[in-house]
Amino acid sequence: MSMNLEQEKPLLPDSPLSKSKSAYLPKVLLGSTIITMLTSIYFIFLYAEEEKTMGAAQKIFYFHVSSAWVAFFAFFITCLFSILFLVKRQRIYDTYAYVSAEIGVVFTIIVLTTGPIWAKSAWNTWWVWEPRLITTLILFFLYIAYIMIRQMDGVWDKKARLASVFGIIGFVDVPIVFFAIRWWQTKLHPVVFGEGSDQSGGGIAPSMLAALLISILAFTILYAYLLNKGVTLENLKIKVEQYKEKLRMDIEN
Amino acid sequence: MTYQYMYAAYTVAWVVIFGYLFILDRKQSKLKKDIEFLKQLEK
Amino acid sequence: MNLVKSALLLAKKDLFSEWKTKQVLVTQIIFASLVIVVFSFAFDPSNNMTKAVIPGIIWVIIVFAGILGLNRSIVSEQRNDTMYALLVAPMEPAGIYLGKFIANFTMIMIVETIAIPFLFLLFDFNMAGSIPYFILIIFVGSFGFVSIGTFLAALAGNSKSSEMLLPLLLFPIASPVLIGVTQATRIVLSDMSKLSSALAWTQMVTSYDVIFFVISLFLIDYVLEV
Repeated sequence: MSMNLEQEKPLLPDSPLSKSKSAYLPKVLLGSTIITMLTSIYFIFLYAEEEKTMGAAQKIFYFHVSSAWVAFFAFFITCLFSILFLVKRQRIYDTYAYVSAEIGVVFTIIVLTTGPIWAKSAWNTWWVWEPRLITTLILFFLYIAYIMIRQMDGVWDKKARLASVFGIIGFVDVPIVFFAIRWWQTKLHPVVFGEGSDQSGGGIAPSMLAALLISILAFTILYAYLLNKGVTLENLKIKVEQYKEKLRMDIEN
Repeated sequence: MTYQYMYAAYTVAWVVIFGYLFILDRKQSKLKKDIEFLKQLEK
Repeated sequence: MNLVKSALLLAKKDLFSEWKTKQVLVTQIIFASLVIVVFSFAFDPSNNMTKAVIPGIIWVIIVFAGILGLNRSIVSEQRNDTMYALLVAPMEPAGIYLGKFIANFTMIMIVETIAIPFLFLLFDFNMAGSIPYFILIIFVGSFGFVSIGTFLAALAGNSKSSEMLLPLLLFPIASPVLIGVTQATRIVLSDMSKLSSALAWTQMVTSYDVIFFVISLFLIDYVLEV
């Protein structure tokens, strides 16, 4: 509840505007993103066989599942860095948590838009109230709320603290939401992997599995690239703000 | 038969990804402008 | 036992000041009644089909009336900066949370004991199920909703627009409770033959209550930091 400390602490390095480190990692990440993405597109559209009943629309599945995976992974990273921040209290952890949540929301949007398009072709309805769909929707709302906490007024460490707490609570909530809804009503969603006790698994052809794995890999590398870029930008923004603060102090004195 | 759905879905996915990249890029160029301005000020 | 003692003290203080003004309770009860009236416009009470939506209405009342009180319980401490007084007082943040929780829970229970019979009366609802189970489910559901609600109200209280932020934080997090408890209420009110399913839902909600109550007690230290 720090309300009277509304100023950024001017703890500044000597020359805050100097270029930091070499920009080697982003280039590598961008390169591998492009390569794996192109490979995955080749695999999805040319290599993987077409599903018999659903036809071409089944190919939505690869990007849909990959985005869902990245979204969940991003929120997991947010939770992880939230815990780290609460323990260590270093701003860099908070920046990672925030950027990861933002990327997670972006991929959740992809899941929530490609999902209904597939649903329309496969089940002839845009939306069904089905566990995974509702869980994803609630996940989306949860992390919108997380970002709204970040938009609060006040000093950064207060916002970071509260957002971290919410990041942890939210992530704990996700499996509970899923099981509650799964219990509430089920069926419709084809269970591809694992044994659904009351649903029959659809199975997957080896060529499809290869395409799926490669597109998941591509999306994960894309996530790493976006995370790196986002964190770099966020750090730059913090530096610029601190520098402006210092200038303001200099002028005032 | 269902190609239109596939095209729609992939278009949406790419639009979202590139949209986000575009937003990041705008953020970056804004920061760059800020830094240039501050550097001018420093001199 | 210092924790419980300080919590009870704080709850006593809150409830006593509420007893003096009756500001929040009266608002909550009138609000609940208004929601019932609005629902009577939306769903014809003389229609037999309306019985199906009664469990939903009960929980809409509890959630909306509850959110009024939850926000209030934290914001009222901020007007004269009494939150700082609580924080520097020789009690743990967990004690503050517990005290606020007890006060909020007591108040929502009072609202429910007035609003739910009123609802049954106005909608001419004949209880087909079991009243003890119904009370148990209401109790367990309110516990979960208020425990996570008090925690998130303390979190949202840091924002200037906490009354807008709180529902956005609370509804997604509380969705498992609301799903479980509406299902259980529906079964208990109408179809006692599926009692085992209702009990399973109650168990699920109870485990949610326990998980989030414990998490809240642990994490409240970080929310109520000076």
